[in-house]
Amino acid sequence: MFRFPRLWATLVAIAMAGCADSGAGTGDTTVSYKGDRIGHFGFGTPATPEQIAGWDIDIRPDGAGLPEGSGSVEDGEWLYEEQCAECHGSFGEGVGRYPILAGGQGSLKDERPTRSVGSYWPYTSTLFDYIYRAMPFTMPESLSVDETYAVTAYVLYLNDLVEDDLVLDHTNLASIRLPNEPNFVPDPRPDVANTRCMNDCRDPAQVNIISEVAPAAPLPQVSVTETETTAAHHPGRQTYDQFCGICHRVGVGGAPITGDTDAWSERITNRAETLATNAIDGVSSGGGSMPPKGGFMQLTDDEVRAAVDYMVGESS
Amino acid sequence: MSQRELDNILHSIAQSGEQLKTNERRQFLKSGLLIAGAVAAAPATVSAQSSNLPPSVPPWTRQLGRGVISNPYGIPSRHEAHVTRRSVEWLTADDIASISFTPLADLSGIITPSGVVFERYHAGVPEIPPDQHRLMIHGLVERPIILSMDDLMRFPSESVIRFLECPANGGMEWRGAQMDRLQFSHGMLACCEWTGVRLSTLLEEVGLKKDAAWVLAEGADGAHMSRSIPMDKAMDDALVVFAQNGEMLRPEQGYPLRLINPGWEGNTCVKWLRRLEIGDQPWHHREETSKYTDLMPDGTSREFTYVQECNSVVTSPSPEKPFKKKGKYVIQGLAWSGRGKIKTVDVSVDGGVSWRQARFTSQILPKALTRFALEWEWKGSPAMIQSRAVDETGYVQPTYGQLRQVRGSNSIYHKNAIHTWRLAPDGVVTNVQIS
Repeated sequence: MFRFPRLWATLVAIAMAGCADSGAGTGDTTVSYKGDRIGHFGFGTPATPEQIAGWDIDIRPDGAGLPEGSGSVEDGEWLYEEQCAECHGSFGEGVGRYPILAGGQGSLKDERPTRSVGSYWPYTSTLFDYIYRAMPFTMPESLSVDETYAVTAYVLYLNDLVEDDLVLDHTNLASIRLPNEPNFVPDPRPDVANTRCMNDCRDPAQVNIISEVAPAAPLPQVSVTETETTAAHHPGRQTYDQFCGICHRVGVGGAPITGDTDAWSERITNRAETLATNAIDGVSSGGGSMPPKGGFMQLTDDEVRAAVDYMVGESS
Repeated sequence: MSQRELDNILHSIAQSGEQLKTNERRQFLKSGLLIAGAVAAAPATVSAQSSNLPPSVPPWTRQLGRGVISNPYGIPSRHEAHVTRRSVEWLTADDIASISFTPLADLSGIITPSGVVFERYHAGVPEIPPDQHRLMIHGLVERPIILSMDDLMRFPSESVIRFLECPANGGMEWRGAQMDRLQFSHGMLACCEWTGVRLSTLLEEVGLKKDAAWVLAEGADGAHMSRSIPMDKAMDDALVVFAQNGEMLRPEQGYPLRLINPGWEGNTCVKWLRRLEIGDQPWHHREETSKYTDLMPDGTSREFTYVQECNSVVTSPSPEKPFKKKGKYVIQGLAWSGRGKIKTVDVSVDGGVSWRQARFTSQILPKALTRFALEWEWKGSPAMIQSRAVDETGYVQPTYGQLRQVRGSNSIYHKNAIHTWRLAPDGVVTNVQIS
């Protein structure tokens, strides 16, 4: 009936996989493949070493994955001030709710522990990996390998873990151990046991409220017409939402908060014509600094102008 | 009624009329125009809501509604516009690396609609053209490969209904009651039908080398979000997912590709999945060391705390669903366990002195939300309403006291304590913790 029994078997296997439920332990759902499965389907293309190298950015505690390069505490200091301090603070103390990077050693048993690189993190490799992978927040993967070593070295220095003459590189990074490494343990759960009591489980007199939240305030009603307002359709709104708002919604690095008329009135009154050019070219003032285009160099000048116009409109 | 809708109605009437004989058509068009005229005038003639109730006949019963494709992709009724994700501003530094919550009180059944599934981003939602997305699989494998979405979707796939929960769900409550709504106390939680290729299928395809023991999953977002997954889980039920609730993943949920580790921390279910590296050790990346580790009172920290233990919460009554007057009610809620199926759920209205077994009102699936209900007559007295779930392993959801005795109050993650709603005589419901 079927001239190609092997093909038929494959089709059956595919059909079965399509019906299977992945409930663990049900025992009746596993598709059983016979023989060597490697390359069975043959889909996709081989990943070449060059392709892998472009994406393979991960670092392990033993140093596996560290790229060749180096950076000093000294180089890291100005890089950190320029690229990191806006959110993390000059001493790693954290601005607003952005993460604290330094301090808090010995606080982990306290009522309010501080989890910093020096007090909590187990491995130096994580610091390099994360800075390269995800920082600076608005421009991930923009630091070079050497810059990443330098910033890593400086954060270690902020935590009093290394001397100020350290030059960090792929040969010494893994040998710098963090103090909290020995305090990480495997998951012992289930670690808490309750019993299924049904009656007279406790003394009713002992049922007392120990903390309570006030009744919820009514939520602002989301009106369907709200999305049709002029502001929502402003040509600068999308740029603002996606880029400018990261700082201007909460006031990162002294950024005037959108809608804060006090913060904006002087700017709008006296410097209306320079607001857009400053946003495009960048500006530094006493209260903080505005990087060119907020660091989003992919934005066109017109997009930045439109976003500034939107923010002015929302703050007038 | 807009001019466009009116035009549409007239157009459809005219088209229908073309099939009639000429003399009939004249009559038809005339009546059609009368109908359309009545429609246009209708809003002005409806003065009070009561005029739409029996014995009156409301205007929508005497007119034509919108035609097909007026919403090419349908959206909920405008009367449901309050059912949305919401966030708590003070929780995070900005709204790019942030979280929003599922409106649990307003949902039915066990499936969370894709548009209101809670969000958690570490660098916002990337905009990824699917034809330019690639999944790279390499490391300790015989045959490192790169798959396009077309390649990936040719593999055998399957669909399962599983919950997804952030391990920080309820984490704000460790030190005491803090969130004023169910949406915020338990809303980092959703349950969807996920369709994808088993990770084991892909790992068999590339061939594991002898020491392969861990899989690093990495996202294509700006955070390159990464987690180490042990091989047992990868070969058990991990799924490389491209569809959610019958359609391609929503951008917020990892479009075009994500990992789902059923029953495990939502954070391990890496979105916008671009890379799987196979290794012999875990990577100890930021989201599994600095974050998503559980600090204990003795100063030690638990790492790789993957499973979301058995949990439950009453969704009605709740702050969002107060009782309006005395009478008969159905107490409703959700239970779930990362270790398998829910076995029983009990409900107490007296702060845990006595309990009654609830019944299930949904399917009971492993690692999925399960809905329970219990009929109750409220006589207007204050009540302390709780639910307590037991899963198929026999694990009984613990009290706050039991949890804190072992873990203190600084572990942030994995808070699955029995939750208490205080029902006041006026029917208002508040979040409380009791001794």
